Amino acid sequence: MNPKSADIIVLGEHPRAADTLTLDELAEGMTASVPFLILQEEMDRFAELSGDFNPLHVNDEFARGKGFKGAVVYGALIVAKVSQLVGMRLPGRDAVWASVSLDFIRPLYVNEQAQVEGVVTEVWESTGMVKLKLVVRSAAGKVLSKGTAEVLLVRK
Amino acid sequence: MNTSSIYDRLTEIFREVFDDDELEVIPALTADDVEEWDSLNHIRLVLSIEKGFGLRFSAAEVGGLKNVGEFVELIQSKAA
Repeated sequence: MNPKSADIIVLGEHPRAADTLTLDELAEGMTASVPFLILQEEMDRFAELSGDFNPLHVNDEFARGKGFKGAVVYGALIVAKVSQLVGMRLPGRDAVWASVSLDFIRPLYVNEQAQVEGVVTEVWESTGMVKLKLVVRSAAGKVLSKGTAEVLLVRK
Repeated sequence: MNTSSIYDRLTEIFREVFDDDELEVIPALTADDVEEWDSLNHIRLVLSIEKGFGLRFSAAEVGGLKNVGEFVELIQSKAA
């Protein structure tokens, strides 16, 4: 039986209760992070879900032929971890995700530990809009992806 | 800042946000007059105006506006 992510990730127990930061509590410079690693089982499930069976993601040999160490994790699965960061941690429960922009700089491989980090860069009281800077790092600290997100904090 | 120059700058912002180079920004203009003026674009509009004029508004100030003319009055009061 394949292990679940929650059995492996040190801090990523996937709590089901979201944090509930309010606009007053959010401030520029506030940070949160979500550690993760992507299992082969999750790659297989995403291929079925998305219909994206590109061999770069499902065939180690093909990926190595392209100069990678093995099958490359889908960028959308990294975005999924950003979703966890935004929806569960920063700002959490009252977040409505308005936009995301992410550059994929280095590949992430299956079973490779990484984390997505968010930093609040702007808080707009007038509209409840919060801007985040995003960085995805490998366990060795290398930047794998970086970008930004806009999140609307819904008051009611 | 006089009213005319505020409208000139607002027109640039509105046209950018709503991607409509023909949009005429007049005092009576409301969200009902612009098809693309939905809730998310409203937020983008307010943020763009805050950035464009170097101002910050409160939720109450923005929430009470009925049309563009009132927004211009708010800008004038803040910029004074």
